[in-house]
Amino acid sequence: MNVGNAGGRTAGSMNNEPADMSVADADVSDEELCSLFPGAVDRDSAAHLRGRLRRRLLINRCAECGTWHAPPKPVCPSCLSEHVVATPVSGAGTIFMAVFLHQGPPAEGVDYSTPYPVVTVELDEQPGLRYSSTVVGSPNEEIQIGRRVELDWIMRGNVPTPVFRLAGKSRA
Amino acid sequence: MKDRVAIAGAASTGFQARNTDRSQASYVAQACKAVLDQCGLTPRDIDGLCGSLPTAPAVQSMLGIPELTWFANPVIPFGNHVAAAASAVYSGLCDVVLAYHGAYRMAWNTGSALKDPFRRGVTFGGGGVVPPESVAGSAGYTAWASRYIYEFNVPRESLGHVAINSRTNAMANPGAAMRDPLVMEDYLSARMIRSPLCLYDMDVAVDGADAFIITTAERAAGLRLPPVLINAVVLGMTGKNEEDQTPGLRQHGQHVTVEALKAKSDFWIDDIDVLLAYDGFSVITLNWLENVGFCGPGEAGSFIADNWVANEDGTGRIMIKGRVPVNTHGGSLSEGGTQGTGHLREAVHQLQGLAAGRQIEGAERALVTVGGFFFNAEGMTLRRGRPR
Ligand SMILES: [Zn+2]
Repeated sequence: MNVGNAGGRTAGSMNNEPADMSVADADVSDEELCSLFPGAVDRDSAAHLRGRLRRRLLINRCAECGTWHAPPKPVCPSCLSEHVVATPVSGAGTIFMAVFLHQGPPAEGVDYSTPYPVVTVELDEQPGLRYSSTVVGSPNEEIQIGRRVELDWIMRGNVPTPVFRLAGKSRA
Repeated sequence: MKDRVAIAGAASTGFQARNTDRSQASYVAQACKAVLDQCGLTPRDIDGLCGSLPTAPAVQSMLGIPELTWFANPVIPFGNHVAAAASAVYSGLCDVVLAYHGAYRMAWNTGSALKDPFRRGVTFGGGGVVPPESVAGSAGYTAWASRYIYEFNVPRESLGHVAINSRTNAMANPGAAMRDPLVMEDYLSARMIRSPLCLYDMDVAVDGADAFIITTAERAAGLRLPPVLINAVVLGMTGKNEEDQTPGLRQHGQHVTVEALKAKSDFWIDDIDVLLAYDGFSVITLNWLENVGFCGPGEAGSFIADNWVANEDGTGRIMIKGRVPVNTHGGSLSEGGTQGTGHLREAVHQLQGLAAGRQIEGAERALVTVGGFFFNAEGMTLRRGRPR
């Protein structure tokens, strides 16, 4: 059985599998991965989190029927195939929901004195496929439902974290 | 199962929005003792136990219940507990269930719980580091509130009316945590917590507990209080039920619950005397009003405005068609965040004639919708039965 791991035996059968994914898997041990994402890693989320370390946003996709799903599950909810593969998405999409936190959990680099934006983005890969993160590089007034975004990365500690940037806003 | 299982009694400790010097277990013990007394039962009469925290084994041991043949520790909200207990009674796994819920200020519902060293170890489990970018949990309702406002162009006043309704009702409930008058100016100038929601859109973390006796309709009819019959109960979910993957405002758990509940119940919204529509977040109540059929999607704000009874001091309350009040106990927003037990207890008390200064004359039927959109959209229809 091969489940949710881009570096697994079946990865080569995927046309869209990037050549370096098995290298990414080899880079970080299970112990190191779990220490980098305390409390967040299990067998089903490991491939997604390993992808982050390589600045790749990996979302599970079914190798049988092509359907994407999030968060990562060991089977495809559309056809129950166990052949799901953590697969890169472009990160381009449209803001579906938008919240501004005036207070929240402590996190490095997050200052709630300016309300901290958190958006759920509908990814271009599939209707209803969504990913949540913050938006960098724009004032809060511009961060609105319906706006187009693209993927960017910030560092939290020494861990790359996927974030969004309003489309067309160049990187600082 | 229709009308074959009953809630024989409901009791509460009342609620306080501060870190009290008591344990969660002590509130649960107080509420359980009160409901046993109210029904004329002793721990020997109990053979089923159902609650989240403390666990059923801990509560059995604490209350000295000699023998159980069934217990369960469902997750909140409390519709899960009602469905589990009613199923157990109906199928004969046990005869008399004591169902309880300790609402307790913990790190998950208020950061200030961490100031009390005795509370730091009390948790729903889980653990792990939640990053601010997550919309799991409370932030999920704020996210959907943003979507609701966006899709339907809803003014903040629509959310404010839900908060004011709960507060005005709480003023008539001695057990409610928040009883100072709230008016629209207060709401609109309140501190934003997670924009677009402010302090008054979110339930109040409280200390206290509720407890219930759930048994067969026959057994309940022989106890001290009028039995409240469970006409139907539904726990609805959609396939995608994570907060950020839930399909949309026209397709979430409430829609499943409502369709199933309408099909299973003998009565619906035109026949009810009181509506207990969950208000853990104000936007949830607006969705329930729409989805149970009082109005169309996005119309709850104007529906409330059309069914609003305003007081001269700026307080006010919902009276649907001038007759049916909503969240008469003050809801989660003002009585306190009880994850559904407050709504259920109030329905039971209204149908038993025990709602004291806020009693609805001759109340016979209630619709209780507990919980939100995702893995927690639950509903039940309750009616007053006849004592033997
Ligand atoms: Zn599939």
